[in-house]
Amino acid sequence: MTTQTAAGPLAPFRVIDLTNELGQLAGRMLGDLGAEVIKVEPPGGDESRFIGPFRADVVDPEYSLHWWTFNANKLSATLDLTSIRGQELFTRLLATADFLVETCPPHAASALGLGVERIGASHPRLVHTSITPFGREGPYANWKATDLVGTAMGGLSSMCGAPGRPPIRPTASQGFTQASAQAVVGTLIAHYQRTKSGQGQHVDQSMQEAVTFTHDNATPTWDIRGINNGRPGNGREIGGYKSGQYVYEAADGYVAALSYGGLFGLTARQTIEWLDHHGMAEDLTSDEWLAKLDATQGLLIPPTGEDGDHLNDILVAFCKQFTRAQLVAEAQQIRNGWGVVNTPRDLLENEHLAARDYWTEVEYEEGHVTYPGPWAKLSKTPISIRHRAPRIGEHNFYVYGNLLGISDEEILQMSADGVI
Amino acid sequence: MAISKVFEGIRIADFAWVGVGPLVSKYLADHGAEVIRIESSVRPEPLRRAPPFANDEPGLDNSGYYADFNSSKKCVSLNLQHPDGVKIAKRIVEHCDIVTESFTPKAMRGWGMTYEDLCEVRADLIMISMPMYGLTGPWSMWQGYGHVLQAAAGISHLTAYPGEEPIGTGVAYTDFLVPHFAASALLAALDHRQRTGEGQNIDFGQMEAAIHATETMVLDYTVNGREQHALGAGHPDFRPYGTYRCAARGDDDDRWIAITVTNDAELAALADVAGESSWTSLEADALDTAIAEWTRSLQAEELMQLLQEAGVAAGVVQTPEDLRNDPQLEHREHYWMLDHPTMGHRAYDGPSFRLSETPAELTKAAPLLGEDNEYVYKDIVGMSDDEYVEHLVSGAFD
Repeated sequence: MTTQTAAGPLAPFRVIDLTNELGQLAGRMLGDLGAEVIKVEPPGGDESRFIGPFRADVVDPEYSLHWWTFNANKLSATLDLTSIRGQELFTRLLATADFLVETCPPHAASALGLGVERIGASHPRLVHTSITPFGREGPYANWKATDLVGTAMGGLSSMCGAPGRPPIRPTASQGFTQASAQAVVGTLIAHYQRTKSGQGQHVDQSMQEAVTFTHDNATPTWDIRGINNGRPGNGREIGGYKSGQYVYEAADGYVAALSYGGLFGLTARQTIEWLDHHGMAEDLTSDEWLAKLDATQGLLIPPTGEDGDHLNDILVAFCKQFTRAQLVAEAQQIRNGWGVVNTPRDLLENEHLAARDYWTEVEYEEGHVTYPGPWAKLSKTPISIRHRAPRIGEHNFYVYGNLLGISDEEILQMSADGVI
Repeated sequence: MAISKVFEGIRIADFAWVGVGPLVSKYLADHGAEVIRIESSVRPEPLRRAPPFANDEPGLDNSGYYADFNSSKKCVSLNLQHPDGVKIAKRIVEHCDIVTESFTPKAMRGWGMTYEDLCEVRADLIMISMPMYGLTGPWSMWQGYGHVLQAAAGISHLTAYPGEEPIGTGVAYTDFLVPHFAASALLAALDHRQRTGEGQNIDFGQMEAAIHATETMVLDYTVNGREQHALGAGHPDFRPYGTYRCAARGDDDDRWIAITVTNDAELAALADVAGESSWTSLEADALDTAIAEWTRSLQAEELMQLLQEAGVAAGVVQTPEDLRNDPQLEHREHYWMLDHPTMGHRAYDGPSFRLSETPAELTKAAPLLGEDNEYVYKDIVGMSDDEYVEHLVSGAFD
């Protein structure tokens, strides 16, 4: 468990974060990189504080683990953006900021003072990033999208699930994740431009379009071959060709192997030797099979039909006999890139992540909470989780007092008036 | 006045291969950086040998898979196993701001091209290493692929039909997830160098970034001791929230729509569009069955329009073909058509964000293997004609 004190690379910069679940990870990543991120919430708390699960299942805006996950490294200031006084304060706050990241629905942006032209005119240095389901403009701009609608409209769901059965999504929102993480890239490209020109700009991030990034080789496969990579079930499709099975049941869970576990292609001979060492290679040591598998060297597309079924049957029987750890350790020794299908518990008990000091303890009044650690190790300006997710309006005095120079009395009055 | 490109003057030596590394440098190349891919015909970049191939003809300059990830880049051929290979590589690095690589850690160590080594030729270098499991630790020498890493990172555990085996997504998912994290770290380091003159090393373990895509999975376990499980298309808090089969389109009977309801008003709107007022009081399983029966005779696109106009979040489960015809993506000009010397006029994916003042520009199709040898070795590195020919003949540029 590390305690890092060096500042992150974005330490000199301030972010105003006006995002819902669609974009919360973006502000979190900028905060991890060292920026001061001020989450602006409506008085009474942001709607995403009511997204579960909750600590000990107690439904309370201070106990949402969704909030805790995505708002560590952020400060909280409350503000009623629908009031004139609130909008005036927001404008003053933006004047102190380098970045604005928001998820305002396009049709509501102007009314909240978040129109692109207006922000650009009054804050020309600001990098203003909008994260919306389909983009700020265009025929679908005002359509609604949940995460599933994002993964469907962006094409990922058409490649998730089994043939003939309903398309699925990962039960952890990848539409939101992709939109947020790609928005950070766009934001930092705009930021780099600002270091040269002094001028900010607008970054228009679409969740649907972000999901199109996840297609693997589907764009060229359709473009060149006129084939849609579809739902491969337990497998994969490359260039319109189906691979073999990928996930195999072990004695204590599942492992992810290459298709046929390396029984074709470059490591076919070593894989046969490995199975044979355990007395489970069946007829694959025959000259006929060795010749057949030698001929697949350098191919990425596995055999199909009876040959494929035979290889798969052998591997299914083999994997069931051993634990995940043994299978993967031995597979790696012959340079087969297998991996364990990890559960949450597996990850927390994982020796490799522990050896790399990955997990980070974050202090809450309720006790320490173990978080996933830095998503990159920067040698001079480390990424770190410096503090827990904020309580509602926890930093109002810092934001309105220290940053905007408003007196304590006036802040209390604004609070009583429901402005903050 | 034309605005100069964002990364004009930034040069990258890109030793990375397959998905993650090339997708990181693509972000920079498409915004004006000079990205030099360093590859070899002796041990070719695996994607150059992966389908789809133009005209279904395998060839190192014919892979659409490689092409899509390497727009706007240059490429030299260099055999790092050749006695002069590493020396030449270092001469390229000397003229670069950034080095990217994604091998298992022993490769760069073996060549004497770690960050410390390369700082001797370029003191303010930014280097990002992107092995599956990071530069250190007991698994650091393990091989891997995006399809396996989604399993290792816990994503496959959450991607399955309820109670069934953890199949994961049908793509090498982390290859299309972690590049955003890696690029963000790299861009922040570049900004730091711009302000301070200081370069640095980035140890990017792909697995560690991918775990950040599991939403509340970790905290639900560390705080509540609960292991979350996969729900198919479903959502832990909302129903209906799923995919439903629609009417066939021509002879394609695999048409689906996602319909999701997150509050009572949306449920009432859904019931209204279906003309089934009883739906607002149906139990969740029965409602799911009723929706599936209803959608089966309707065209997915028309139903999506009706539901969205009524304020229900719904969307067609679009295929790659659908996306090429999607009016919203067309409005945003997502696809770029670029001419490649051997592959012809082909579609490329552009980035998913639009910068209002300095938008991306995919300046050219993917490079041929070794296409820019003369330019890089003579104009950048400064080799004489004689020296260039000598290395060519000796096989250093294989």
